[in-house]
Amino acid sequence: MEDDKDSELISPPVAAKKDALDELDSKVKKYLRGSGTDLEGLKDKKLKGQLAVREDLYGKSAKAAAKAEKWLMPSEEGYLEAEGLEKTWRIKQESIIQEVDILSSRKAFDMILPDLGPYTLDYTSNGRYMAVAGRKGHLAIIDMHSMDLIKEMQVRETVRDITFLHNELIFAAAQKKYPCIYNRDGVELHSLKEHGATLKLQFLRNNFLLASINKFGQLHYQDMTMGEMVANYRTGLGRCDVMQVNRWNAVVGLGHSCGKVTMWKPTSSAPLVKMLCHHGAITAMAFHPGGHLMATAGQERRIKLWDLRKFEVLHTYTGNAKSLEFSQKGLLAVGNGSSVQIWRDQSGDHKYSRYMSHSMVKGYQVQKVAFRAYEDVLSIGHSMGLSSILVPGSGEPNFDSWVANPFETGRQRREKEVHSLLDKLPPETIMLDPTSIGNVRPEKKKKEQPTKKESEAEMQAAIAAAKSAPLKNKTKGRNKPSKREKKKHEGIARVKRPFLDQQMKEQQQLLKKKQRIAKIRSCQNLFGNSSRSSSDIIS
Amino acid sequence: MTEMQKMKKRKRNAKAGKRVKGSRGFGGTKSGGPRLPNSLLSQFPVLKPHNGGLGTDGNAGVDDEDINSDEGEIGGLDVYEYDEPMPEEESMKNRRYDHVDNFEYELPEKFEDSNVSSDDGEEEEDYRGFKDIKRSSNSDVLSGNETEEEEDDARHDRMLQRITELPAEVFESRPQIRNVVSEAYLESEYNPTRDILDGSGHLTIQDLLNPVQGKPVYAEFRKRMQRLNKKSLTLQPPLPKVAQENLEREVAYERSKKDVTKWEPLVKRNREAPTIFFDEDINLGFSTVGAITSEFEPRTDFEKKMAALVHDSKVAEAHKEDGAKLLELNKISLEDVKDRQNRLAKMRSLLFRHEMKAKHIKKIKSKTFHRLLKKDKEKRRTSIDVQMDPEAAKELAMKQEFKRAEERLRLKHKNNNKWATRILKRGLAVQDEQTQAAISEQLHQHALLTRKMNSMKDSSSGEDDERSDEDDDDDDNLDLGMKSDMASKLLTKAKEKTFEVMEDEDEMPKSGVFSLPFMTRSLAKKSEDARAEAKVALEEYDLALNQHDTDVPNNLNKGTSSGRRVFGASIKQPEESSHVNNNIGRDSDDEDFETNKNVNVESARSVSLQKGVQIDIDKLNEEFDVGQDFESFDHLVRGNAPKTTYESAVFASGSWTGKKNPNVAGSTNGKSTGVAQHDSSYDNLKDADDNDDPESGEEMVDGILSSSPKPDYELPSQADLIRMAFAGDDVEQEFEQEKIEVLNEENPEPEKTLSLPGWGQWTSLQEKYGLPSWITEERENAKRRRDEALSKRKDAHLKNVIISEKINKKAENLHTKTLPFPYTSKEVFEQSIRVPIGPEYNPVTSIVALNRPEVVKTTGVIIKPIKFEEVNPHEKGSEQNLNSKRDTPKVKKNKPNNGKVIKTTKTAKKKS
Repeated sequence: MEDDKDSELISPPVAAKKDALDELDSKVKKYLRGSGTDLEGLKDKKLKGQLAVREDLYGKSAKAAAKAEKWLMPSEEGYLEAEGLEKTWRIKQESIIQEVDILSSRKAFDMILPDLGPYTLDYTSNGRYMAVAGRKGHLAIIDMHSMDLIKEMQVRETVRDITFLHNELIFAAAQKKYPCIYNRDGVELHSLKEHGATLKLQFLRNNFLLASINKFGQLHYQDMTMGEMVANYRTGLGRCDVMQVNRWNAVVGLGHSCGKVTMWKPTSSAPLVKMLCHHGAITAMAFHPGGHLMATAGQERRIKLWDLRKFEVLHTYTGNAKSLEFSQKGLLAVGNGSSVQIWRDQSGDHKYSRYMSHSMVKGYQVQKVAFRAYEDVLSIGHSMGLSSILVPGSGEPNFDSWVANPFETGRQRREKEVHSLLDKLPPETIMLDPTSIGNVRPEKKKKEQPTKKESEAEMQAAIAAAKSAPLKNKTKGRNKPSKREKKKHEGIARVKRPFLDQQMKEQQQLLKKKQRIAKIRSCQNLFGNSSRSSSDIIS
Repeated sequence: MTEMQKMKKRKRNAKAGKRVKGSRGFGGTKSGGPRLPNSLLSQFPVLKPHNGGLGTDGNAGVDDEDINSDEGEIGGLDVYEYDEPMPEEESMKNRRYDHVDNFEYELPEKFEDSNVSSDDGEEEEDYRGFKDIKRSSNSDVLSGNETEEEEDDARHDRMLQRITELPAEVFESRPQIRNVVSEAYLESEYNPTRDILDGSGHLTIQDLLNPVQGKPVYAEFRKRMQRLNKKSLTLQPPLPKVAQENLEREVAYERSKKDVTKWEPLVKRNREAPTIFFDEDINLGFSTVGAITSEFEPRTDFEKKMAALVHDSKVAEAHKEDGAKLLELNKISLEDVKDRQNRLAKMRSLLFRHEMKAKHIKKIKSKTFHRLLKKDKEKRRTSIDVQMDPEAAKELAMKQEFKRAEERLRLKHKNNNKWATRILKRGLAVQDEQTQAAISEQLHQHALLTRKMNSMKDSSSGEDDERSDEDDDDDDNLDLGMKSDMASKLLTKAKEKTFEVMEDEDEMPKSGVFSLPFMTRSLAKKSEDARAEAKVALEEYDLALNQHDTDVPNNLNKGTSSGRRVFGASIKQPEESSHVNNNIGRDSDDEDFETNKNVNVESARSVSLQKGVQIDIDKLNEEFDVGQDFESFDHLVRGNAPKTTYESAVFASGSWTGKKNPNVAGSTNGKSTGVAQHDSSYDNLKDADDNDDPESGEEMVDGILSSSPKPDYELPSQADLIRMAFAGDDVEQEFEQEKIEVLNEENPEPEKTLSLPGWGQWTSLQEKYGLPSWITEERENAKRRRDEALSKRKDAHLKNVIISEKINKKAENLHTKTLPFPYTSKEVFEQSIRVPIGPEYNPVTSIVALNRPEVVKTTGVIIKPIKFEEVNPHEKGSEQNLNSKRDTPKVKKNKPNNGKVIKTTKTAKKKS
């Protein structure tokens, strides 16, 4: 939509020049989600046949999907193209605005709010609503389509962060003592006192969890449907005010002052990953929507890009960043001081280079940069209010109304709320690699001995099996119920015996151990006494 | 040949017979088989003389074993003793043997049996063996003499030929000459011939045909016989059952194999098909109501009648036409109408009668009902009468008196009767509630009846009434009057009353329940309390009266506040008086508030003190603008004393604030009232400002700073500086240390116990030779294992990364426990489930195919057995199935049937 409007500056997509077939192939590949099984290696003929049929179906499905994508989602994201000696980053916002259509040009604005301190902001998942929070208690919700101010209020407290919950109706603000949840009308619904003085808030949309990190470096997860506190972990790495959610796997990343980045899930008290990213304190971090790329900025003037599959640095750049953010299409916004740079991966190998830059009035301090979903807009919250600039090629041009609909009506929103609640994922589904769900369980470390409970269960199972084992029909005299019963009991006893023996052995061992310990103790006592007495004598 | 030799030979032959297959060759084709058609048998006598000797032997073989052996013995003896081939001639003379000759072909079955059972002790293992045995046993005797006899015959013939020089044929027929041996008895049915007795009453078809000779049927029979004779093929003996079955099975297997293999491609295709459809043929027959009814046939009489009427040709015709004829058909006879009317009338009358009866029955009430009704009526009547009529009242009184007297006499309601005594004996507590209630009720009744009736002119109650009347009057007066002198009057009256009450209370009851010691005690206590109260009241009255006299009417309130308890009637007083007071002055209202606050009775002195305070408050009131406070305080005061009025609330607020900030009340001119009288919201704001985070202040500083020309450098706050200063102290080493710790935790190092001195070996030995090998080995193993585990970790090669290897128990349910059945490798399984099959991830066109079950079948559809169809075995079944999921209606699979087919083939194989 909006990309077509960035008409003149934006060339027709490069992909169009490519062979159409090739393009389709790449799309098919995308939908196939990896290569098929190697059928040649299979020995089981039946399975082979079944899998062949399956693969065939997958192939067809992928092809259909690719075709649908080709024909139903024709919009391509645009981008700035320089001619000759021109550089894309020299192109000013003014010139862009002049070129684009009126509707798009309206999306760029500057809002000067000098009094209530640096602003932070958050968008809903469909990019339609923006929540703004000034440091000194100024909260507001803005409808970005009509630029209507839906609600504005002053909580008269320090507000450190703001985030929308599952839709625009409810948002949470990290206030001075604890985060509070407000609805669209400004009514305070809850105050989450357990979280303490939170510095950052993040909402995990698929899991309906509100994650917060407080002054003391405690990470809290609270379920926003039932209100239950899912987890409360202490990071043990001190105060931390850098928190980002990896939207791909809902793992929360924290950047610490010791230069470490830790990644957390609500079901483990230890971090999933702890990596030393920088030598200085981490000032900002961001996750690529694809989930495999992370950008971190350290105080030692370095910005690093990480491959999260290998946990290795891809590239290191020099520069400071107060705020980092990846757009839907993978542009990286770096906010620092009063200027914002946008980096772009031109070649496709994650080698980001400068794409655009925008500097505000000198003296403005960028607090937060946030891309608007499904639009080519970057919003900047700074010390003197808000700014919004046009960044061609940042937003996803084709929205899927099943995922997020920027033109959502109230009815659709209600419908979606119910659906998303039904599709809510339990906290344990959060893991580093969510695609591994359904795979074979990773092997446990083998234990030397089964636990008591396990052995008990095993015994029960054996007994049950013995009980249900059919008895032979014997000749007349030997088939009496009493005899049968006896036989059954014998069978059970026989099954039980090894377990009981095992138990007995263990008990004996334990007893021996105890005795030994007691003996040693008594010896020690004896020796101690004697030595003491001897010392007495000596003295 | 000795007999022994012969026997041996025979046995050997028997054995050899098993081996030799061609022993059939002997008797030619004609003599070999045991079962020959009669037509052949009829020709047999021609052959008989030729192999007479042989025949005997053969017969002997055929006959019982005893005979055989006997014969053998005899033969053997003959041979042995005389050494001549004479016995044949001799035997020829014996007629019996001739007949036995025929006999041979009659009993092949028996022969078999005997042979199996006795002759050959060896059990037959095989069919062939058995056959051989049979053949050999048939021929063994023959073969026993075969060669010599033949030779003898030939020699003899040659000799005769040479002597007589006659052709050989002449001699060949020689044995035909029979020696007729006469029987001892006449041949009759009573004296059966020997051969009949021996069981060989031998009939030929010819014999049977003889009687019909000359009859028309005969020719036909004969023709048939001839035909039979002409086609006389030698029939093979039927194979024994086992062999037969064996052969049959072989053939059956071949055939079924062929039959089954033709299904193979079909079955293969069905097996390979990802989905099998069973719901192609869903024609269930009848579907509409019309179709079902058209099949209807009338069966019962009624139905038949109906059908006859419905399908009446006349009616149908009438329908077909304009329908006018229907009316004609619809005619009813007069009798019918009359009948119907009568019937209806009868029914109606019956109904009516029934109704009446029901009404009547409904009206009948039970005895108890009537009794109760009567009682009720009586009661009503008496009550009315008593009220209206003195006569009736008197009567009633009399009645009651009588009842009472009766009760006193009879003591019926005392617990003397049998029922009550019994219950009491058993204990009242044990009884159920109802019984207890009944007993108490009875006692109550008794008490009622025996109680001494109080006379109508009871002094105390009467007085009470009077007094209350008086009180009322007083109140009225007060209400009407509303004058101060009225108040004094009232007070005096109250005083009088209290005196009276006090006097009254002194009188103690000396009899009845109240005379009981505990009652008296409690009464005394009560009266004491009352007296104390009364005293207080009296004092108050006095005081009030005094004040009243000195024209301070407001003190009345105090009196009322405490006096409330004593007199229920005087409750109204304070309110009204307060109303009065409001008119008089504001300060009194203030005091009213005070009294409300502290309820205790205050003395005149306190009142004066209060006055001092009042002045202050007044001053205050003048000073500050009460404006907003007013409402809030109003609420508060209302909360405390809801009865206070509007005006009083205003001033109450003053006193309240005084209470709140005591210093204000103490020194009115000390502080400016404005400070104390904050607007609450404003106050909060200020608080917030005061308490605001130091950070925010810093940030503000930042904000100011930010306007300075250095854009890229942000002056960090002190806390940030400190954090930064202490943060980066050799982070890497720290991290390494941490990683080692984590590794040690997740992959613990091997136990150290093994390295303790003296562990597993004497210390001296250990010192000498070093650690024992097993310890070192174990240690090395443990170390190696740990190293392996460490190297397998994901973060093994990443210096600056720790990846937790902890297994999440909660997430275990999200993984499959074991590899599902057909899969043998984890990779293959995981790859096979990599593509989601849900509707969110796939286009509509493929979603159905992806999620189709193995078998598609609608409920209720009968699964028909598999039908044969030509399938190209080389085509790809799956593809075809995919393409034409529903277009190929014949792609059916019937699992049970397939199973059956397969089963049969299997069994066939097993059998073969």
